[in-house]
Amino acid sequence: MKWRNLLAQYGALFALIVLFGYNVATRGGEFLQLENLRNLISQNAAVGVIAVGMTLVIIAGGIDLSVGSMTAMCGAFAILTVNKLASGHMSPGAIMALSALVSIGIGALAGLFNGFVIAYGRVAAFVVTLAGLAGFRSIALVLGQGGEIRSSLPQLQDFGFGGVAIPGSHGTGGGPVILYWSALVFLLVAVATSFVLNRTRFGRYVIAVGANPKAAEYSAINVQTIRVAVFALLGALVGLAAMLQAAKMNSVGTGSEGLYYELDAIAAVVIGGTSLRGGRGNVWGTVIGVILLTLITNMISASNIDTNWQGLVRGIVILVAVLIQRGRPENE
Amino acid sequence: MQFPAVRALDGVSIEFEPGEVHGIIGENGAGKSTLMKILSGVQQPTSGTIRLDGKPVSIQNVRQALSQGIAMIYQELNLVDELTVAENVFLGREPTRVGALDFGKMQDLTQGYLDQVHAPFSPRSKVGDLSVAGKQLVEIAKAVSVNASVLIMDEPTAVLSDPESRALFELIAKLRAQGTTVLYISHRLAEVCEICDRITVLRDGQKIATVEARGADPAQLADLMVGRALQDFYPEKVFPAQGGQPVLEIGGLGEPLTIEPGEIVGLAGLVGAGRTELAEALLGLRPVGTAQIKIDGLPVRLSNPKQAMRAGIAYVSEDRKHFGLHTSLSAVHNATMANLRSYGHVLNQRKERATAEDWKKRLDIRVGDLNDAVSNLSGGNQQKLSVAKWLDTRPRVLILDEPTRGVDVGAKREMYDLIQSLAREGMACLVISSDLPEILGLCHRTYVMRENRIVGELGKDEMTEEAVMRLAAGVAAA
Repeated sequence: MKWRNLLAQYGALFALIVLFGYNVATRGGEFLQLENLRNLISQNAAVGVIAVGMTLVIIAGGIDLSVGSMTAMCGAFAILTVNKLASGHMSPGAIMALSALVSIGIGALAGLFNGFVIAYGRVAAFVVTLAGLAGFRSIALVLGQGGEIRSSLPQLQDFGFGGVAIPGSHGTGGGPVILYWSALVFLLVAVATSFVLNRTRFGRYVIAVGANPKAAEYSAINVQTIRVAVFALLGALVGLAAMLQAAKMNSVGTGSEGLYYELDAIAAVVIGGTSLRGGRGNVWGTVIGVILLTLITNMISASNIDTNWQGLVRGIVILVAVLIQRGRPENE
Repeated sequence: MQFPAVRALDGVSIEFEPGEVHGIIGENGAGKSTLMKILSGVQQPTSGTIRLDGKPVSIQNVRQALSQGIAMIYQELNLVDELTVAENVFLGREPTRVGALDFGKMQDLTQGYLDQVHAPFSPRSKVGDLSVAGKQLVEIAKAVSVNASVLIMDEPTAVLSDPESRALFELIAKLRAQGTTVLYISHRLAEVCEICDRITVLRDGQKIATVEARGADPAQLADLMVGRALQDFYPEKVFPAQGGQPVLEIGGLGEPLTIEPGEIVGLAGLVGAGRTELAEALLGLRPVGTAQIKIDGLPVRLSNPKQAMRAGIAYVSEDRKHFGLHTSLSAVHNATMANLRSYGHVLNQRKERATAEDWKKRLDIRVGDLNDAVSNLSGGNQQKLSVAKWLDTRPRVLILDEPTRGVDVGAKREMYDLIQSLAREGMACLVISSDLPEILGLCHRTYVMRENRIVGELGKDEMTEEAVMRLAAGVAAA
């Protein structure tokens, strides 16, 4: 295998190892503290969940620019549901479960809508989801009257910072280090999606549709159904991510929630080695992409560099990733 | 893993005189297209030289070929339907005046070129509104506009009616008189003998002979082209027992079409006669229209590919790379793609692997690693794989659309053997082919299509090249 192919396939992992090594060398034990490593995974867990869903959409030959606005919309519905039910007699656990279902359901509906217009209206995914980017944000703003919706259920944030204690660990504040629910959900979603992509018929169809929709159609695969399904699945994951984010913040800022999530999610997918042309990609690359972006953000924050440079650094990372992808010979 | 490429052309040396019409003939895969692609700059030769007026020239791309006066007119015309004739003629080298396109000049010049080729339409016509013959004239006008000294034409009459062909021949004679060298590729031997000065025969990438066209005998040329008796090239036909229940029946499209188990039935016709369209309708990719389709005597609804597959119809597409296979996926994944429903929702990967191994053995598919992308396989092996993919659905009828297109001569024979052994096992095979010798050599019977209708059936004793062509072209028996 040529070095260029190796770079395209394992570039993200390679970059992560290099940055990891650099941090260990310069910050040593402080960087390697369990809490810090945990934060690397959980800090952007919501984006991670969305990026994993985005991986399927991009492999199927699509793209979704509406996920950020959709996060705000789903989050708004989630918190409104929480507040509505909090005044009743339901247990906090049931309230949160129900709100999560509402959030996931709204997301799935929004994704279904995107998918239907793309598949049956024969409009480019880019355009349909650009409309969604504007529209879903607007719905969120209307729900929140242009501002923040705060949760009136204190247990919501307890859940946001709850999780599983890592056995035998000792945090800086004494007591064990907690692996947050959001990080667990992120990893579980990645495991499940990777399984679906690589081991199930649906996953194979997703790859086939992205690689060559005509050949897929001739192979008696229902191409449009697969297209709708991946967008709906991504929508549901956006709903899930919105609930995780709402729990962490205990509120939803309808103007700011999910801002640039589409950028981060697509960047993570591309950095992870999934082809923007569709037909090829992998979920774990995306997970590495999310962690890599988090690490870069944190390094800039920790250094003396003006944090306003963050956007530029991200942009450069995305471009480099795409350029490496471009160098990959096409299997045509 | 890389497979050794077949040498498409080997040590061929041909001289073309100025003001000569030079016919290039040969079977599919003989190397005609490769030769023309090299001359027109589409493909680079691995060795050899091209001399123009005695001077060696290098032709790296189409633009360079054009600037040296070599223009190629492809079978599938390279025009932009949405633009006008003038815009197409000047595509990529539009005259400008103070930075803006000079439409007036473009149209005036184009009118001149159109006059030279006797085109009956205006430079302002939209190319999409022209007939195929008209589009061809635009291509020729384009060649005239760059002052081409060498004009290469690939099967120009394949898509033309008889009067249109006549007009083209007159134009070629006129270009010759002006000193243009015309390289004329065609399968139609009679017409090659008629309009060419000399004829070069290619076979298996080698030059067999260059002969004077005056007094050449088409039958002799055919022998030179094939180089072996036809009955050696095709496996001996094994006719199935007659009178069984037909597997497939198509009515409502003119002559009724039936195929019994074990039969290899041809579907002949000119390009655009509606054969592929009929196949796509059988696959549920387009409405069947007035056709009534029965499988095993029962009417079937075919509104999508899934229904067609369930009904037992399998279609091996003429276009492997775009419709037949997923070239970026592995042989295993391709082999099971059409029948993936039999491998569970959570795929049984061991069973998938076993299927691929099995087909590899049974069809003798030469593939290194079954997990590698199939884009590196040769045309013949890709074709076998796309047959395997459909056989895996256990079809009742196997439709093969141009099964040996782009496949080299050795692999062709293997494909014929394969089709025949499938038929012997009871498969009903419908072979769509534009290669008449293939229809005659392989099929038990044949139907002929013209203008989207089945216009005739020819039994084993009636199948001759002339009979098929008469039906296909719609001329009465002589």
